[in-house]
Amino acid sequence: MAAPPPPSPDPQFVLRGTQSAVHALHFHSGAQGQGCPLLFSGSQNGLVHIWSLQTRRVLTTLDNHGGQCVTWLQTLPQGHQLLSQGQDLRLCLWDLTEGRNAVVDFVHLESMGFCRGSTLAMGQQRWTLAVPGKGTDEVQILEMPSKTSVCTLKPEADAKPGMPMCLELWQADSSSRPLLLVGYEDGSVALWDISQRKVCSRVACHTEPVMSLDFDSQKTRGVSGSAEKALAVWSLDEQQALQVCRTHEITNPGIADVKIRPDHRILATAGWDHRIRVFHWRTMKPLAVLAFHSAAIHCVAFANDGLLAAGSKDQRISVWSLYTQT
Amino acid sequence: MAVFDTPEEAFGVLRPVCVQLTKAQTVENVEHLQTQLQSVSDSALQELQQYILFPLRFTLKTPGPKRERLIQSVVECLTFVLSSTCVKEQELLQELFSELSACLYSPKSQKPAAVSEELKLAVIRGLSTLMHSAYGDIIVTFYEPSILPRLGFAVSLLLGLAEQEKSKQIKTAALKCLQVLLLQCDCQDHPRSLDELEQKQLGDLFASFLPGISTALTRIITGDFKQGHSIVVSSLNVFYKTVSFIMADEQLKRISKVQAESTVEHRVAKLMVHREADWVKSTGGKLTILIKKIIECVSVHPHWKVRLELIELVETLLLKCSQSLVESAGPLLKALVGLVNDESPEVQAQCNQVLRHFAGQKVVVGNRAFADILSENLHSLATSLPRLMNSQDDQGKVSSLSLLLGYLKLLGPKVNFVLNSVVHLQRLSKALVQVLELDVTDIKIVEERRWNTDHLSASPKTSAMRPWSQVQRRYFRFFTDERVFLLLQQVCQLLGFYGNLYLLVDHFMGLYHESVFYRKQAAMILNELVIGAAGLDVEDLHEKHIKTSPEELREIVTSILEEYTSQENWYLVTCIKTEEMREELTLKQPGFQAITSGAHNTCQATSLPAFSKPSPTICSMNSNIWQICIQLEGVGHFAYSLGEDFRLLLMSVLYPVLEKAGDRTLLISQAATNSMMDICHACGYDSLQHLINQNSDYLVNGISLNLRHLSLHPHTPKVLEVMLRNSDASLLPLVADVVQDVLATLDQFYDKRASSFISVLHALLVALAQWFPDTNHVGQPQEHTAEKEESHLNQRILENNATTAEDIEYFLLSYLKEKDVADGNVSDFYNEEEQSKPPEVDEKDTGPDVEPPLPVQIQIATDVMERCIHLLSDKSLKIRLKVLDVLDLCVFVLQSHKNQLLPLAHRAWPSIVQRLTNDDPLAVLRAFQVLRTLGGKCGDFLRSRFCKDVLPKLTGSLVTQAPVSARTGQVYSHTLAFKLQLAVLQGLGPLCEKLDLGEGDLNKVADACLIYLSAKQPMKLQEAARSVFLHLMKVDPDSTWFLLNELYCPEQLTPPHPSLHQVQLRGAMGQQNPYKANVLCLLQELP
Repeated sequence: MAAPPPPSPDPQFVLRGTQSAVHALHFHSGAQGQGCPLLFSGSQNGLVHIWSLQTRRVLTTLDNHGGQCVTWLQTLPQGHQLLSQGQDLRLCLWDLTEGRNAVVDFVHLESMGFCRGSTLAMGQQRWTLAVPGKGTDEVQILEMPSKTSVCTLKPEADAKPGMPMCLELWQADSSSRPLLLVGYEDGSVALWDISQRKVCSRVACHTEPVMSLDFDSQKTRGVSGSAEKALAVWSLDEQQALQVCRTHEITNPGIADVKIRPDHRILATAGWDHRIRVFHWRTMKPLAVLAFHSAAIHCVAFANDGLLAAGSKDQRISVWSLYTQT
Repeated sequence: MAVFDTPEEAFGVLRPVCVQLTKAQTVENVEHLQTQLQSVSDSALQELQQYILFPLRFTLKTPGPKRERLIQSVVECLTFVLSSTCVKEQELLQELFSELSACLYSPKSQKPAAVSEELKLAVIRGLSTLMHSAYGDIIVTFYEPSILPRLGFAVSLLLGLAEQEKSKQIKTAALKCLQVLLLQCDCQDHPRSLDELEQKQLGDLFASFLPGISTALTRIITGDFKQGHSIVVSSLNVFYKTVSFIMADEQLKRISKVQAESTVEHRVAKLMVHREADWVKSTGGKLTILIKKIIECVSVHPHWKVRLELIELVETLLLKCSQSLVESAGPLLKALVGLVNDESPEVQAQCNQVLRHFAGQKVVVGNRAFADILSENLHSLATSLPRLMNSQDDQGKVSSLSLLLGYLKLLGPKVNFVLNSVVHLQRLSKALVQVLELDVTDIKIVEERRWNTDHLSASPKTSAMRPWSQVQRRYFRFFTDERVFLLLQQVCQLLGFYGNLYLLVDHFMGLYHESVFYRKQAAMILNELVIGAAGLDVEDLHEKHIKTSPEELREIVTSILEEYTSQENWYLVTCIKTEEMREELTLKQPGFQAITSGAHNTCQATSLPAFSKPSPTICSMNSNIWQICIQLEGVGHFAYSLGEDFRLLLMSVLYPVLEKAGDRTLLISQAATNSMMDICHACGYDSLQHLINQNSDYLVNGISLNLRHLSLHPHTPKVLEVMLRNSDASLLPLVADVVQDVLATLDQFYDKRASSFISVLHALLVALAQWFPDTNHVGQPQEHTAEKEESHLNQRILENNATTAEDIEYFLLSYLKEKDVADGNVSDFYNEEEQSKPPEVDEKDTGPDVEPPLPVQIQIATDVMERCIHLLSDKSLKIRLKVLDVLDLCVFVLQSHKNQLLPLAHRAWPSIVQRLTNDDPLAVLRAFQVLRTLGGKCGDFLRSRFCKDVLPKLTGSLVTQAPVSARTGQVYSHTLAFKLQLAVLQGLGPLCEKLDLGEGDLNKVADACLIYLSAKQPMKLQEAARSVFLHLMKVDPDSTWFLLNELYCPEQLTPPHPSLHQVQLRGAMGQQNPYKANVLCLLQELP
């Protein structure tokens, strides 16, 4: 085995060739037994690249966002369907079965901004989609694939939380009511009950806009990163009230993305300071600072098998194997 | 001669002759009879057979001494009759048989009679013919027990002849006859085959002769090699036919326990043998001894036909007598297996065919006894192999290994029974490892260096042969014969093919780790195992054998490669490093130690000594070189085994291999290049370039990651260099990406490793300059203006020739007008030029407002040039020189992007001036080159600076150096000062032209160069000086003309018109003027 020298660990490999800043990443492990694992990346120039993790090369390039930045990528649980959100105000649904790559449907978005959408499976074929709405502070909930608007979540007039910056739909195991976590421009995180269309709880976590959040529904604990020099960890009690548990100071300001690994053990952040930080999720103990990129990191993603990918403004995607190196 | 068809006619003719013969038994009479017989037809002869035979037999039977000659002719005549007729009565047959045999019997001695060889031959032929002429069933009835004594007599007679005669003819005939007598003749004349019962009866009968026949034949076979191969071949033939007939399992299993009540008389019954179990067992035992003797002797027989016959023997005996001769099976198989790699292709082919036949018929595998025997043999061979390898000479090793190979072939998948025994596997591997030990004392291995670094362009050979058939010559400690190595290769491949690959790879991997002494051998074996497992070159004798699946193979290969290319096995000390490398080694060591001590105890033990020794011994370096070569060869083998599947492994393998391709040790770089060829072949790339080009992304990945740990991977820049050389413009984005890494690393290490990086940057810019040749070349318009000037000149000359005062006036006027225009007083004649200007302005206008993103190559060149500015003042001259080269290229690439080039040039200027004025002459030379390029690309920008900062220095140095160079001799042309002078003189001309210098500066240049037109200067300098003036002529012909004439005036000038004054120039006319030749030459050029 190659001996990693002490100062800094290396990524397992680096994907090059997007030729544009990378803004969205999403792993797709592929259905059991068929095909190798894939990585989707969305970049500034509006392209979505599909990478084979086996050959480490681009398999296909999807281009349907008119050269506008792709901000969010998500596969749907029922197979080879990919959602891509672009700043051309369109959310495209791609059919990728058996090597196809055609847009089968798209949703017209009403808000430009960087807020990424969120999905929640509701049944065999149905799923709920949350996207930023028409008004600057609104969130729109749609039922898919019929694209029927369920509701628009607008904060009360006196709240003035600013624009929604990040969304996270989830559903407690015990109930069937979908809930939505929204990080707002004023640094607060709010929990909406979609069926009642009201805010259950709202807590100010940051003094700067919340850039991203991730939520662990098992521990009912979430984490959010903002433009400031701190991560906030908050929890949700039985009364569905949000509470800030703690904040974790980091050296440089700006967390563009934060993701909890599917096994709920560790957490990775994408820093504007070109660094990926890895924390122990339960204790928030810092485990590693991964320095490789030469520009701000825009997004991080975890694969089911533990691989971590980070996409950066320097047009590279670094892929890290955390099990062997941390 | 008339033919007598009817018996009556024939009788008429033959009667007198027969009567005559009966009366007087003379040779003449017999011969007369034979002549007459030839005119009788076969059918007639058959009728008269008894009649004719009578006098002949009578002659034989007549008591009293007879002349040999007579007997011989009688026997010959008899043979003739028998060959044309058939014997239909059993009695006659028996009698004739006895009479013929008796001819050779001398009652006095027990031995065959001492008669002439001709007679012996005649009798033998007669017997043979007699047996063939026996009609139908009577031949079977002939072999009844009562004949036993007479038959025995004939058999022993023939054996005696075959053994003791000198004549080869007699021996062969005797053996042939014996075969006929035992009814094993292979000719077509026998009307019917025997049924089972008859076979059994015959077997019973012949069994009595078995001891005699077999021992006698064994004596013949094991006799002197000189007796001729045909005797041995026929003896072997008779031997195995007889043995396989008498001992046939088919017959023996029908033999009843109790001997049937025989009807024959007691005397004969005593001779009869009952072939019951005990007899079979004891006979088998005795035969085994004989068979062993035969095999021992025949398997090394020099003649291939004999060995071929041996294969026949083995095949027949194993097929027909596998139970009765079970004890011989071992030796027989061994003999067969030993001939697998016979030097004769016929024997080899036959042997392989038999083996395949056996395998196909499951003779061995289906037969437990055989399989056990084989495994046992293999066991014992494995046990003794280490000792054999140690003690035997090359020939002995060849035969031992052939045997091993044969066993493996024959056992096929069952080889695993042996391999599963730890002890035996260890024995086997120990032997292999031991014999494969390389000789590492040769100093040449370390010594041979590769100096040209650009040879990667070698095109892959398109031969269909396995690319590594021209494998590097290796020297082994324990053998020199190439065949031994080939056998070892085959053995390993077979092991890989039939054996449990996981088990074997695991075992040899263990050895690889165990000790540095085993490592090379283990790697060699592993390489061959994988080839074998892929089953590409192995001829499968066992059709239903399941091969290792491609996925499994890939997994195994991946793990082996991981081991091969790991830090401690791939980066070995192969040469005594230069100062800086050693420094870096000591730097590297602590960190390395810390890691290995934790993770790999085994590696630490072996690899650290190599690192920690300040100067490793030649042996250890040789050993390291071989190890790397073997591992590289392994990469090629693996590629070959996996084919297209290997592409997936390129991401981890290509980088290390490419790195080794640039190694300074010849052997390593050869091996690496070969293995890349193999990869090309396997993965379907046309050429190395193609391979590198198509997989640049993988390379870039490796490069960029290794750049982060430069101290561990000092060769990384080299790989990038190679990659750049083999890429094309399509890879620009990738290159741009990795260049950022390079520059970042350079910024980090610019004091320590600048030199390797500068060469990368050089390669990079060479590539860029090549990929993006500037389309709107700056030279174009200049040439155009030059042409214009020329036509202008011509025009003027025409005018010059005209002599009228009007012409002169007109000329002056137009000259003044042109001068006006040239000075900028634009008149409306020249609106074309004005029109051409606005679009240029337009283009420039769009520039600053909306800055379009720069092309990537421009961005790279800008970044590189930025670094160059810093490095221009590096301490090391070598680096400064390289940087100047890179700078030159940067300027070339940036030439069409003035917005980027000019600010950089501005910043670089002070350093360049420093190099030009205050540096080593070498640096001055290069700097001057940069200056020339720069002058060509941005003349206006440079003009005033050049005149202010550089020109005085240059001209000054030219002037001061001139007297020096004028005085010295030929040696001077080898000095640096000379080269510098030359370069400056050569460069000044174009520079002056491109920079469009003003009159004053031109004069300075001209003044400085004039001295060099002197004939006293070295020739080259004169030439260069002339070139300066040629350029000056283009810029300002008139003043040049004037200047030259001031030096030397070749002719008296006559004014064009008498009204003008006579002009007298200063140039002296004398022959001694040192400038004469050059000035004349130049003036000729000046039209």
